[in-house]
Amino acid sequence: MTLSLRTEQPAAGRIMLALDGRLDASTFGEFDAAVQALLSGVADGGTVVVDLAALEYISSAGLRSFARLRKSMRARNGHTLLVNLQPQVRKVLDIVKAVPLNEVFASVQELDAYLDRIQQQVLRADAEGDAAD
Amino acid sequence: MPAHVLDLTARPHLPEVFRLLEHCDASLRQSGLAADLCDDVRLVLEELMVNMVEHGHAPPAEPGTIALQVQRLADAVLIDLHDDGRPFDPLQAQPPALTGDLADAEQVGGLGIHLVRSLVSDLEYRRGPQGNHLRIRFDATDRTEPRP
Repeated sequence: MTLSLRTEQPAAGRIMLALDGRLDASTFGEFDAAVQALLSGVADGGTVVVDLAALEYISSAGLRSFARLRKSMRARNGHTLLVNLQPQVRKVLDIVKAVPLNEVFASVQELDAYLDRIQQQVLRADAEGDAAD
Repeated sequence: MPAHVLDLTARPHLPEVFRLLEHCDASLRQSGLAADLCDDVRLVLEELMVNMVEHGHAPPAEPGTIALQVQRLADAVLIDLHDDGRPFDPLQAQPPALTGDLADAEQVGGLGIHLVRSLVSDLEYRRGPQGNHLRIRFDATDRTEPRP
Protein backbone atom coordinates (compact mmCIF):
# COMPACT_ATOMS: atom_id res chain seq x y z
CA MET A 1 0.00 0.00 0.00
CA THR A 2 1.23 3.51 -0.72
CA LEU A 3 -0.71 6.70 -0.05
CA SER A 4 -4.12 8.03 -0.99
CA LEU A 5 -5.61 11.41 -0.16
CA ARG A 6 -9.15 12.68 0.16
CA THR A 7 -10.24 16.25 0.77
CA GLU A 8 -13.51 17.65 2.07
CA GLN A 9 -14.76 21.07 3.07
CA PRO A 10 -17.03 20.39 6.07
CA ALA A 11 -17.48 24.11 6.89
CA ALA A 12 -16.51 27.49 5.50
CA GLY A 13 -12.87 28.25 6.30
CA ARG A 14 -12.14 24.64 7.12
CA ILE A 15 -10.62 21.94 4.93
CA MET A 16 -10.32 18.29 5.89
CA LEU A 17 -7.46 16.28 4.41
CA ALA A 18 -7.67 12.53 5.03
CA LEU A 19 -4.59 10.34 4.50
CA ASP A 20 -4.62 6.61 3.90
CA GLY A 21 -1.52 4.42 3.75
CA ARG A 22 2.07 5.46 4.31
CA LEU A 23 3.66 8.91 4.27
CA ASP A 24 7.34 8.25 3.59
CA ALA A 25 10.25 9.09 1.29
CA SER A 26 8.43 7.51 -1.67
CA THR A 27 5.04 9.23 -1.17
CA PHE A 28 5.71 12.64 0.41
CA GLY A 29 5.98 14.33 -3.03
CA GLU A 30 2.39 13.33 -3.79
CA PHE A 31 1.27 14.72 -0.44
CA ASP A 32 3.17 18.00 -0.93
CA ALA A 33 1.63 18.47 -4.39
CA ALA A 34 -1.89 17.86 -3.03
CA VAL A 35 -1.24 20.34 -0.21
CA GLN A 36 -0.01 22.98 -2.64
CA ALA A 37 -3.21 22.61 -4.69
CA LEU A 38 -5.33 22.70 -1.53
CA LEU A 39 -3.72 25.77 0.01
CA SER A 40 -4.68 27.97 -2.92
CA GLY A 41 -8.31 27.44 -1.81
CA VAL A 42 -7.75 28.16 1.89
CA ALA A 43 -8.77 31.62 3.05
CA ASP A 44 -6.59 33.69 5.37
CA GLY A 45 -7.12 32.51 8.94
CA GLY A 46 -8.55 29.17 7.79
CA THR A 47 -8.05 25.75 9.32
CA VAL A 48 -6.72 22.54 7.77
CA VAL A 49 -7.69 19.39 9.64
CA VAL A 50 -5.48 16.42 8.80
CA ASP A 51 -7.34 13.18 9.50
CA LEU A 52 -4.82 10.40 10.19
CA ALA A 53 -7.28 7.59 11.00
CA ALA A 54 -6.03 5.51 8.06
CA LEU A 55 -2.40 6.66 8.03
CA GLU A 56 -0.58 3.63 9.34
CA TYR A 57 3.02 4.80 8.99
CA ILE A 58 5.09 7.96 8.82
CA SER A 59 8.84 8.50 8.45
CA SER A 60 11.01 11.63 8.71
CA ALA A 61 10.11 12.55 5.11
CA GLY A 62 6.45 12.71 6.18
CA LEU A 63 7.31 14.74 9.29
CA ARG A 64 9.04 17.31 7.08
CA SER A 65 5.93 17.48 4.85
CA PHE A 66 3.75 18.14 7.91
CA ALA A 67 6.17 20.88 8.98
CA ARG A 68 5.94 22.51 5.52
CA LEU A 69 2.13 22.39 5.60
CA ARG A 70 2.02 23.89 9.10
CA LYS A 71 4.49 26.60 8.12
CA SER A 72 2.38 27.54 5.06
CA MET A 73 -0.78 27.68 7.16
CA ARG A 74 0.93 29.77 9.82
CA ALA A 75 1.99 32.24 7.11
CA ARG A 76 -1.76 32.61 6.32
CA ASN A 77 -2.61 33.19 9.99
CA GLY A 78 -4.27 29.79 9.86
CA HIS A 79 -4.13 26.56 11.85
CA THR A 80 -3.24 22.95 11.13
CA LEU A 81 -4.87 20.39 13.40
CA LEU A 82 -4.10 16.67 13.47
CA VAL A 83 -6.74 14.13 14.45
CA ASN A 84 -7.00 10.33 14.90
CA LEU A 85 -3.29 9.51 15.16
CA GLN A 86 -2.53 5.79 14.93
CA PRO A 87 0.07 4.24 17.27
CA GLN A 88 3.09 4.35 14.93
CA VAL A 89 2.35 7.92 13.84
CA ARG A 90 1.84 9.09 17.43
CA LYS A 91 5.08 7.42 18.53
CA VAL A 92 7.14 9.02 15.75
CA LEU A 93 5.63 12.49 16.33
CA ASP A 94 6.33 12.11 20.08
CA ILE A 95 9.99 11.14 19.60
CA VAL A 96 10.81 14.31 17.66
CA LYS A 97 8.25 16.53 19.46
CA ALA A 98 6.93 17.36 15.99
CA VAL A 99 3.88 19.47 16.85
CA PRO A 100 2.51 21.34 19.89
CA LEU A 101 0.15 19.09 21.85
CA ASN A 102 -2.73 21.56 21.58
CA GLU A 103 -2.85 20.94 17.82
CA VAL A 104 -3.34 17.17 18.19
CA PHE A 105 -6.75 15.60 18.86
CA ALA A 106 -7.53 12.00 19.78
CA SER A 107 -10.91 11.99 18.02
CA VAL A 108 -13.19 14.00 15.74
CA GLN A 109 -15.50 14.64 18.75
CA GLU A 110 -12.63 16.22 20.69
CA LEU A 111 -11.68 18.26 17.62
CA ASP A 112 -15.28 19.43 17.05
CA ALA A 113 -15.59 20.51 20.69
CA TYR A 114 -12.40 22.55 20.29
CA LEU A 115 -13.54 24.16 17.03
CA ASP A 116 -16.93 24.96 18.61
CA ARG A 117 -15.16 26.71 21.51
CA ILE A 118 -13.08 28.75 19.05
CA GLN A 119 -16.23 29.61 17.10
CA GLN A 120 -17.98 30.75 20.32
CA GLN A 121 -15.00 32.93 21.20
CA VAL A 122 -15.06 34.54 17.77
CA LEU A 123 -18.83 35.19 18.03
CA ARG A 124 -18.44 36.63 21.55
CA ALA A 125 -15.60 38.87 20.42
CA ASP A 126 -17.76 40.05 17.47
CA ALA A 127 -20.72 40.72 19.79
CA GLU A 128 -18.53 42.68 22.19
CA GLY A 129 -17.09 44.60 19.26
CA ASP A 130 -20.63 45.44 18.07
CA ALA A 131 -21.68 46.48 21.62
CA ALA A 132 -18.69 48.84 21.79
CA ASP A 133 -19.67 50.54 18.51
CA MET B 1 20.37 -21.41 14.62
CA PRO B 2 18.24 -18.48 13.41
CA ALA B 3 14.73 -19.48 12.42
CA HIS B 4 14.53 -16.95 9.63
CA VAL B 5 17.20 -15.28 7.50
CA LEU B 6 16.69 -12.80 4.70
CA ASP B 7 19.45 -11.72 2.30
CA LEU B 8 18.66 -8.81 -0.01
CA THR B 9 20.61 -6.33 -2.14
CA ALA B 10 19.65 -3.13 -3.93
CA ARG B 11 21.31 -0.49 -6.05
CA PRO B 12 21.31 2.90 -4.33
CA HIS B 13 18.10 4.13 -6.01
CA LEU B 14 14.93 4.96 -4.08
CA PRO B 15 12.56 2.63 -6.00
CA GLU B 16 14.91 -0.31 -5.38
CA VAL B 17 15.31 0.57 -1.73
CA PHE B 18 11.51 0.64 -1.35
CA ARG B 19 11.14 -2.71 -3.11
CA LEU B 20 13.60 -4.11 -0.62
CA LEU B 21 11.73 -2.50 2.30
CA GLU B 22 8.44 -4.03 1.13
CA HIS B 23 10.02 -7.46 0.85
CA CYS B 24 11.62 -7.26 4.31
CA ASP B 25 8.45 -5.90 5.93
CA ALA B 26 6.19 -8.56 4.39
CA SER B 27 8.59 -11.30 5.42
CA LEU B 28 8.83 -10.13 9.06
CA ARG B 29 5.05 -9.75 9.34
CA GLN B 30 4.58 -13.21 7.92
CA SER B 31 7.00 -14.59 10.50
CA GLY B 32 4.61 -13.42 13.26
CA LEU B 33 6.76 -10.55 14.55
CA ALA B 34 4.72 -8.01 16.57
CA ALA B 35 3.27 -5.28 14.34
CA ASP B 36 4.83 -2.41 16.30
CA LEU B 37 8.27 -3.97 16.01
CA CYS B 38 7.76 -4.50 12.25
CA ASP B 39 6.99 -0.76 12.02
CA ASP B 40 10.15 0.14 13.96
CA VAL B 41 12.31 -2.07 11.72
CA ARG B 42 10.76 -0.58 8.60
CA LEU B 43 11.28 2.99 9.80
CA VAL B 44 14.91 2.44 10.84
CA LEU B 45 15.73 0.73 7.53
CA GLU B 46 13.94 3.41 5.51
CA GLU B 47 15.83 6.23 7.26
CA LEU B 48 19.21 4.54 6.92
CA MET B 49 18.82 3.41 3.31
CA VAL B 50 17.28 6.68 2.07
CA ASN B 51 20.22 8.43 3.71
CA MET B 52 22.61 6.12 1.82
CA VAL B 53 20.86 6.92 -1.48
CA GLU B 54 20.63 10.68 -0.96
CA HIS B 55 23.98 11.33 0.73
CA GLY B 56 26.20 8.26 0.61
CA HIS B 57 25.81 7.74 -3.13
CA ALA B 58 24.84 11.21 -4.37
CA PRO B 59 24.43 12.02 -7.21
CA PRO B 60 21.80 9.26 -7.28
CA ALA B 61 23.03 7.77 -10.54
CA GLU B 62 26.31 6.79 -8.90
CA PRO B 63 26.73 3.00 -8.95
CA GLY B 64 26.97 1.01 -5.76
CA THR B 65 25.34 -1.65 -3.65
CA ILE B 66 23.29 -1.76 -0.48
CA ALA B 67 23.19 -5.18 1.15
CA LEU B 68 20.75 -6.15 3.87
CA GLN B 69 20.69 -9.26 5.99
CA VAL B 70 17.88 -9.77 8.48
CA GLN B 71 17.86 -12.55 11.06
CA ARG B 72 14.77 -13.29 13.06
CA LEU B 73 15.94 -14.73 16.40
CA ALA B 74 13.70 -15.98 19.21
CA ASP B 75 14.15 -12.81 21.27
CA ALA B 76 15.39 -10.25 18.74
CA VAL B 77 15.73 -9.10 15.17
CA LEU B 78 19.35 -8.76 14.10
CA ILE B 79 20.17 -6.71 11.01
CA ASP B 80 23.39 -6.25 9.07
CA LEU B 81 23.30 -3.36 6.65
CA HIS B 82 26.23 -2.63 4.33
CA ASP B 83 26.79 0.00 1.70
CA ASP B 84 29.80 1.00 -0.36
CA GLY B 85 29.10 4.73 -0.38
CA ARG B 86 30.78 7.59 1.47
CA PRO B 87 31.69 7.03 5.12
CA PHE B 88 28.79 7.81 7.42
CA ASP B 89 28.57 6.88 11.09
CA PRO B 90 25.00 7.50 12.36
CA LEU B 91 26.31 7.35 15.93
CA GLN B 92 28.39 10.48 15.34
CA ALA B 93 25.63 12.57 13.71
CA GLN B 94 24.60 15.76 15.52
CA PRO B 95 21.21 15.44 17.25
CA PRO B 96 18.55 17.76 15.80
CA ALA B 97 17.49 20.92 17.63
CA LEU B 98 14.00 19.94 18.82
CA THR B 99 11.92 22.91 19.97
CA GLY B 100 8.61 21.06 20.31
CA ASP B 101 7.49 22.27 16.88
CA LEU B 102 9.19 21.19 13.66
CA ALA B 103 7.63 24.14 11.83
CA ASP B 104 9.71 26.59 13.91
CA ALA B 105 12.95 26.13 11.99
CA GLU B 106 13.58 26.78 8.30
CA GLN B 107 14.58 23.14 7.98
CA VAL B 108 15.28 20.55 10.66
CA GLY B 109 18.07 18.16 9.70
CA GLY B 110 18.97 14.88 11.36
CA LEU B 111 15.39 13.80 12.15
CA GLY B 112 15.74 10.42 10.50
CA ILE B 113 18.94 9.50 12.30
CA HIS B 114 17.44 10.71 15.60
CA LEU B 115 14.51 8.33 15.02
CA VAL B 116 16.94 5.51 14.24
CA ARG B 117 18.87 6.03 17.46
CA SER B 118 15.65 6.28 19.48
CA LEU B 119 14.12 3.07 18.13
CA VAL B 120 16.97 0.53 17.99
CA SER B 121 17.98 -1.55 21.00
CA ASP B 122 21.60 -1.53 19.84
CA LEU B 123 23.55 -0.07 16.92
CA GLU B 124 27.19 -0.63 15.96
CA TYR B 125 29.07 1.05 13.14
CA ARG B 126 32.24 -0.04 11.44
CA ARG B 127 33.98 1.39 8.37
CA GLY B 128 35.87 -1.31 6.49
CA PRO B 129 37.50 -1.64 3.07
CA GLN B 130 34.08 -2.59 1.62
CA GLY B 131 32.35 0.50 3.01
CA ASN B 132 29.95 1.16 5.88
CA HIS B 133 28.77 -1.72 8.06
CA LEU B 134 25.92 -1.33 10.49
CA ARG B 135 24.78 -4.00 12.92
CA ILE B 136 21.38 -3.25 14.38
CA ARG B 137 19.51 -5.13 17.07
CA PHE B 138 15.86 -4.87 18.05
CA ASP B 139 14.95 -6.72 21.24
CA ALA B 140 11.66 -8.54 20.86
CA THR B 141 11.30 -9.85 24.39
CA ASP B 142 9.05 -7.09 25.76
CA ARG B 143 6.79 -7.06 22.73
CA THR B 144 3.48 -8.78 22.45
CA GLU B 145 2.54 -10.82 19.42
CA PRO B 146 -0.07 -9.12 17.22
CA ARG B 147 -2.50 -12.05 17.27
CA PRO B 148 -2.68 -15.52 18.82
